[in-house]
Amino acid sequence: MSDVSRDVAYGEESIILKTMVGLLYPFIMLFGFSVILNGHYTPGGGFQGGAVLASLFVARFVVYPVEDTDSERLHAVQRLFLALIVLAPAALLFTGVVARYEALRSTYLTLMDILIGVQVGLGLGVAVLRFAFFHGVGQTWHL
Amino acid sequence: MIETGTLLLMGLFAVLVIHSNLLRLSIIYLAIFSLLSSFLYLIYAAPELAIAEAVIGSGLVTLLYLAALKRNRVYTVAVVSDEHRDHLTDHYLNHVERSKALTEIRDFFVRREYEVQTVFVSETLEEALQDPAYDLVVAEDEEGFATYTDDESYVMLELELMFQMHGTDSALRFIRYSPEAVL
Repeated sequence: MSDVSRDVAYGEESIILKTMVGLLYPFIMLFGFSVILNGHYTPGGGFQGGAVLASLFVARFVVYPVEDTDSERLHAVQRLFLALIVLAPAALLFTGVVARYEALRSTYLTLMDILIGVQVGLGLGVAVLRFAFFHGVGQTWHL
Repeated sequence: MIETGTLLLMGLFAVLVIHSNLLRLSIIYLAIFSLLSSFLYLIYAAPELAIAEAVIGSGLVTLLYLAALKRNRVYTVAVVSDEHRDHLTDHYLNHVERSKALTEIRDFFVRREYEVQTVFVSETLEEALQDPAYDLVVAEDEEGFATYTDDESYVMLELELMFQMHGTDSALRFIRYSPEAVL
């Protein structure tokens, strides 16, 4: 008889896993931010960089599967960035500010990439964490 | 050349995903498939897609599948009866199905989000205890329901502990056994 609790798929105290994830963690973070910030020159952009940032949550969960992240608060921040994604074009693009000043264009693109990156990173990360720490139907959280 | 090789490997892993016997192995094959497709995107000069595919396909989705797999396990509760072995009557089925003991066991599994199924088996108690397909064997005797649990199973230990801590309405008794000892 094999048990669910006996052969867990992740979260085992593996020193190899811990060391490797610990080594890679800052590089994943750097890679994510570089993909976001260089998105308008090089391959990548807000969504791709955000997905890389979301994998930070996964890496942390793989090594340390303890629910101590306040996903409600993370989700609130994510919604704030979602609102900013809507507001930023409304304030800068549609009013013609970006069209009038050439120098603003790359700044505007970088700003949008950062907003989208943080939003996607938090969104995907929170989604994965909520799924992994799902406690039951009765305990669904409020949107 | 590299493109053809990658495509062939993708095909191979796609077949492996479907035909592997272990679901966990399937998930790993799916992650490799995803990584290969991300490499293919790179060959086709779509590096943005390659980054997204590598992160989401082989990172996030793999974890989601593993978390889902961890919950998916069907526990089989076998009900053994000496006198009703050959002729199961509706009356007996209703009696066992609605008994407090079985309801409590089922509640435990549902709370833990495990799937549970009850089967009425025509085997004797000894045969049922040796059958690895049954996680829990329930037999009725004069004192109520006796539950036979594998002494190496953590989930069954939790079930027993829960009944010890919270008490039970039904006269449910737990008997631990090791499958080797029965043999």
